[in-house]
Order: sequence, then C-alpha cells, then structure tokens
Amino acid sequence: MFAHIYLYRLKCIVRDKQVVFWTLLFPILLAVLFEMAFSNITKGEVFKEIKIAVVDNEAFRKDIHFQEALKAVSTEADGSRLFDIRYASKEDCINLLKDGEIEGYIYCENGIHLEIKNNGLNETIIKSFLDDYQQTAATLQTVMAQNPEAMQKGLIDEIAKRKDYLKEVAASHSEPDTAVHYFYTLLAMACMYGSFWGLKEIYAIQGNQSAQGARVCAAPTQKMRAFAASLLAAVTAQAAIILIVLLFLIFALGVDFGNRLAYVVLTCLVGTVAGVTYGTFISILSHKSEGIKVGTLIGTTMLFSFLAGMMYDGMKLIINNNIPILGYLNPVNLIADSFYALYFYSGTTHYSLNLMILAAMAVVFGLITFLVLRRQKYASL
Amino acid sequence: MVIKVENLVKRYGDLIALDHFNMELHEGEVLGLLGPNGSGKTTAINCILSLLKYDKGNIEIFGKPMSPDAYDIKRDIGIIMQNVAVFEELTVYENTDYFCGLYVTDKKKRRALVDEAIEFVGLKDFKKFYPKKLSGGLLRRLNIACGIAHKPKLIILDEPTVAVDPQSRNNILEGILRLNKEGASIVYTSHYMEEVEQICSRIIIMDKGKTIAAGTKDELKSMIKAGEKVTVKVYQPNEGVLTGIRSLNNVISAEFDGEMLVVKCGKGSHNLMMILEHLKANDIRFGKVYSEPPTLNDVFLEITGKELRD
Repeated sequence: MFAHIYLYRLKCIVRDKQVVFWTLLFPILLAVLFEMAFSNITKGEVFKEIKIAVVDNEAFRKDIHFQEALKAVSTEADGSRLFDIRYASKEDCINLLKDGEIEGYIYCENGIHLEIKNNGLNETIIKSFLDDYQQTAATLQTVMAQNPEAMQKGLIDEIAKRKDYLKEVAASHSEPDTAVHYFYTLLAMACMYGSFWGLKEIYAIQGNQSAQGARVCAAPTQKMRAFAASLLAAVTAQAAIILIVLLFLIFALGVDFGNRLAYVVLTCLVGTVAGVTYGTFISILSHKSEGIKVGTLIGTTMLFSFLAGMMYDGMKLIINNNIPILGYLNPVNLIADSFYALYFYSGTTHYSLNLMILAAMAVVFGLITFLVLRRQKYASL
Repeated sequence: MVIKVENLVKRYGDLIALDHFNMELHEGEVLGLLGPNGSGKTTAINCILSLLKYDKGNIEIFGKPMSPDAYDIKRDIGIIMQNVAVFEELTVYENTDYFCGLYVTDKKKRRALVDEAIEFVGLKDFKKFYPKKLSGGLLRRLNIACGIAHKPKLIILDEPTVAVDPQSRNNILEGILRLNKEGASIVYTSHYMEEVEQICSRIIIMDKGKTIAAGTKDELKSMIKAGEKVTVKVYQPNEGVLTGIRSLNNVISAEFDGEMLVVKCGKGSHNLMMILEHLKANDIRFGKVYSEPPTLNDVFLEITGKELRD
C-alpha cells in the first residue's frame, strides 16, 4: 500500500508541469540571469597590476638600487606583480598620464618623485611603495655613515627582510566572493519551493480540501501511512530537483561551493525537507483557497529570500546587526548561510548550528501537520 | 440491513443540516435520497462515510458501527463523489488503479478488476487518456470507475449525473442498475426526480435535513390527494365553462393560460372523460389532450408547499 501510494504520488508530482517549472526551471533561469549580472562584480574584485611609467633619464640610470627595487615588484616571480612598468622620456610619460594609459609616473631628479593624475587606491599603492623604498634607502645611508662595519654583518639582508611578528590564521579556506552569496540564496529559495509539493500532497489526502482527498479518506487506508508515502514522494522529487539545480550551478555556471560537497548535499536535503513540510504546514492550517495558499507560499518565500539577501546582499548584514533572531527564524537564510559557512569557514560550528535550527524547524512544521492531519473526521467538507 | 441511520443530527453553528434523520438500506435495494439543493443529502452521505463529525445519532453499516478506522467496513464501500475526484496527472487506467489500490493490494487481482471497471463504464478506448482530454460525460464515467473497481457491496453515488448530457446520463443510470443486478446495494442521491423514479426501488424525500416522506414511488404518490393532471388545448373557453369544470366532482383546480387548460384532479378513473364531456356539452372546441399521473414533484409540492427545484 505504501509503495503503491508513493509511486503514484511521485508520478503525479513529476507530471505537474506548472510546479516543475517553478521548482526546477525558474531557479535555473534565475541563476543564469544572476551569472550574467554578477560576473562583473567578481571581475572587479581581482587585483590587476598597476600601470606606471618611469622617466628613463641620467639620474635613474645611475640609481641601480632603485632599478632593482622596481624590477623586483614588476616581474612575475610568484605569478603576480605589483607594477606594469614602461620606461620612457619625460614627455612621453606626461602624455601617457594625460591619456590615462598609466596611473602615474616616477622620475628621479634630486630624489624620487611621483606624478599622478587622480587620487585613488592605485595611486596610494604607488606612493606607499616609493615611501617604503625611500625610508629603507635613508636607513641604509644612515647606517653606512655611522657604522659601516654593520654592513659587513649582513645588515642589508636584515633590513630587506620583512618579518611579521603576528601570525595570520585564516578563518576561511576560500577567497571571499560576493557573487556566491546570491547563488547560495537562490539555491536556498529553490529548496523552500519544495513547499509547493507539500501543499499538493495535503490536497491529495485531506478530505476537507479536495474531492480526491475525501475519496482517500473514505478508503480503508491509514491516513498517516498515506501521508508518509505522499511526503516521501514530495521529498524525493524535490531532492532530485535540487540536486539538478546544484549540479547546474557547479558545472554549468562554475559557482564555487567549496570542497565539502557531502555537507552541501546534506544541507540541500535538510532544506528540502524543511521546504516540503513548510508547504504541508501552511496548507493544513488554512482553509483558504488553493490560490491563496500558493500566493502565501510564494510571498513568504520571496520575503525570506529578500531578508536573506537574495536581492541585496547588504540586507543580510542589516538583519544580523539589528534583528539577529530574524536570521535564525528565516529558513532561506539558514540554508544560504550554511552554504556560506561551508565555503568560507574551516570549522563546522556555524554550519552545524544553522543546520540544527533548520532541522528543528522541519520537525515543528511536520509535527503540527501530523497533529492536525491525524484528526479523522471533519467539522465541514 | 446494509445501512441503518438513527436520529442523526448535524449542526453547522446555528444551522441544522440534519434534523433527527433516519434511513435504512436493505440488501439489494437502490435507495434514492431526493431533495432540493441544501436539503442535507450530501451531509447525510458524508456522515455515513465517517468523513463528517455529527452531533448526535447512530450509524451502522453491515450491522457494525461505522467509524473512520472501520477499515473492514470501508473495504466493501464504493463512493462516487458529487465532484469528480480524479487526479489530472494520471491517465484513466492509472486513476482507476490508484483508487482501486487503496482497497486491493494484490497487483494481479487489481489489474483484472481495473480492466473490468474501465470496460464497465465504457472507457476501454480511453485508457491512456488524461482526464483533461475527456468530455464531461466520460469524466463522470471515470469517476464512477474509480469508485466501483474494487467491487464493493455497497455503492454510494452522490449526484453522479450533475452537468452531464442526456446520453451520458442514461448510460450512467443503466450502469447503476447493472451494478445493482450484480449484487450491490446502492444509495443514490439526486435532485432530479425523473432519475430517482427511474432507478430507485425505494425513495426518501428530504427537506431541511429531515425525512418528509419515504417509500416506493407508488407509495409516495398515494400519500397525496392529487391524482392525475389533465392538460387540454382549448379554443375560447368562457369563465362560465371554467367555473363549471372547477365544480366537477374530483377536480382540485382548473387554470387557463390563454391556450392550455390545466386541470388537477383527485384520484379517480374517469377524470379525463368527465372534463372532455363537459367541454363538448358547452360547445368548446379542443385539440391536444394529455393526462399525466402525479410526479414526485407533486408529492414534494403538496407536502412542503414548494417545488423540488425551487
């Protein structure tokens, strides 16, 4: 009996084109749109070498130490470099700066000078480099003048060394990426769209909600067994859908979910159960029409997604700073935050907390559904 | 006794939907529940099926008290809802198999039952059709197939012919009689008196949640004063003639609408002849003549003072 109901409910779910569109195709389409919209955000975060020019004059040619210092920061020794340097006459440098082809140019004439056109991050970096070089050069000159013997004892190497006395322990094992948050929220929203299946299954077995449900109730079938089979069918279908969306995000759009995929899949499963039971919960509590219930599910899921930062990533921060409890009551936020915790943090404390709250939510939704559903007679049909 | 309902009371707030309703269905019977919309027929059915809570009363089916978990009783009941209760995503075969599977777990046995039910309702050529591809009449037949596939001993049909074309309606009614001949006891609710008269061996007339009359159709008709209704096409009868007809023995009322004279008579075997002789005697020409025995609507009208379809 259980298998009979399960298989037929699964058939009904898979053949419901409208809900399949909203649960499967809609998130995929939205993900493609996100990819188109957010690809520039990621590109903007990648550091690009700063284009500068150096006036190739007599004074520069004589300053071998400065030439070496420039060479050290403009060659790709470890795959990255600070400056992309051109050597040219002063006139050419002025023209390059005017045309915006370089951020600034350096010239040596009674010291080292910097000419820039605007003030910005890149200009600050060039300035910092020159200050650092000039400070080190001045230190060395002072030491040479006052204690030339020290130079023989490897002082130059010591000064050139940059030693940090603070050890940086990375909280994350991944690079921060603003765009992934949008995709995580999108996948979380897709999990919550499992609520449509929950709603559909309640309709199929509740005697006071549909004629089909009344027929099921009039049959010699244990209602809880019918409900369990229906719920399992809904979870199976939604889990498969979420897996497809996840694979699409990873392989087609290249969204980075970190390297703990088993946990990601676990989050999707718990999120799916929470989504489906949320649908049964809304459906069982209300006696309104199906349209109103569907509207309620769409409306609340979109609100959850908005508060979790799907439309504006700063919203998550606003909620965290002002009403943190709301973040823990928002299933979309819990799912998305779990993905982010797996991606960004090395530990699993934050992730586990999110997942436990989400699982507790699913249990509460399921329990309330069970308590209402086990009532076997209705006051009205 | 297949069904025994005693003093059933169901209230929706202040509204009394069933007011000490009593009903008995004997084995092999086709029992009709006849009444206007809102008279309590469907409420009674839903209470009998243990879908609805009721305030008072006893319900027994096959001699046992009915309850939501009386699975042994439910196994022998087939229900055909007023609204078509099938899944849009399943084909004719799958729908019938799904609902039959709630009663019969043996797959092999079920396959034979489902095929038989589909053939019974004449949907053999539509097995792979989805409900939205079926006409209203065919959809109603699928609704019936889903309710009878497990071969129940008791079949409850709640207005199965609503919004069905006359041809499909006849097919459905013939099918119900066939099921009855095959041994099923049947409860049939309707507000179409013609259908109830056609197929039911016993009838309960309901109004405002109460049984207002019960018996065979002849027994019901014998309960009222009205006998036949004589309708005659007459040409220019004067008021004196009409008064004369009204004064005839056994005439209850006589009305002329400008073309037809309608005379309601009490029970008697010479009413028609008496009226025609009176017209002849007064030199009134007449054309078409009809004589109709009393209908269930007349029964309802005489008892409640209103038409069945008011």
